[in-house]
Amino acid sequence: MTRNKNVIEVEGKVVECLRSAMFTVELENGHQVLAHISGKIRKNYIKIMLEDRVLVELPPYDLTRGRIVFRYRT
Amino acid sequence: MNTRPFTSGLGENAVTITRVADRQWHALDDDLVVGRAHAQHRPDGRLFVSIDAWHEVAFDLLAEAMLAELPSPLYTLVDEADVELTAGWRRAGFTIRRREWEYVVPTDPGVTGLDDVLPPPGVTIVPAGQVDESLLRAVDRAIRDEVEATVGWQSMPAEVVPRPEGDTIVDPSKYAVAAAPDRYLGLIRVVRVKRPRIGLVAVRAGEQRRGIARALLAHALGTLHHSGATAAWAEVHESNQAASALFEGIGARSMSSNLELVR
Repeated sequence: MTRNKNVIEVEGKVVECLRSAMFTVELENGHQVLAHISGKIRKNYIKIMLEDRVLVELPPYDLTRGRIVFRYRT
Repeated sequence: MNTRPFTSGLGENAVTITRVADRQWHALDDDLVVGRAHAQHRPDGRLFVSIDAWHEVAFDLLAEAMLAELPSPLYTLVDEADVELTAGWRRAGFTIRRREWEYVVPTDPGVTGLDDVLPPPGVTIVPAGQVDESLLRAVDRAIRDEVEATVGWQSMPAEVVPRPEGDTIVDPSKYAVAAAPDRYLGLIRVVRVKRPRIGLVAVRAGEQRRGIARALLAHALGTLHHSGATAAWAEVHESNQAASALFEGIGARSMSSNLELVR
């Protein structure tokens, strides 16, 4: 887990793709969050798939949801 | 740096919008970053914006600050299923410019019904990696010129990738083509990074309605099937009924839709 500019970032794995443009991501600590994709990922047409390893940004006041800000190549 | 305070209504603290760099803004709530906005030019020259905010107030304030400083027109992309984000952009005055359906396309010839599809007489399919680069560039240029003469190429792709100026072929090895003895008639581009994606299938205007696109798809999907891929992905503009019919006719399913919004 890293903390940068008051933003909590955690690595995880996409375990479910939901039809509402949301994803369930299992974090390294075993917790699951409901995440959507960041605007930069959307603008760059990066697709998120099941099993993808991703970096998730968590809001400072609600650790049950998040935003996928990076998709790892492997 | 340009900082503007706003009353958020969320509590005692005001959300502050700060321009942290050229075309980048942050929404701060008691020193916490609760939203970010970003704008960038794409290779086709259009300015695309995005906002990531943890709540509606931050989104609206970021949109207000960003729109006040950027020239029109501005574009953004959203997944239509993301109702909250789409609503946010609509509140900011954005309207739908285009909609693309995202299809998942089966590769199994037993499902697609393409197992016995052949190109029309006099036409052969040249597999990816074996195409003549100069003929490939010629057919690509001809098809793009035909599009420019009708609906206009810039209105066609939601995705525009960087490429050398004046060139539209980034990697010739990704293309298979339909070939006549003297020239190429059509092309298909399949990219495999994590999942196969049909990036482009196109046929010269004078050669359409002969089954060439169907033959190109049969070849590309058959190749993917033999390599172990069970499905490919493709995006189709909602007005392109011929392409939708082609994909749906081989068992492709619409999985989602992407909206390009403009203000």
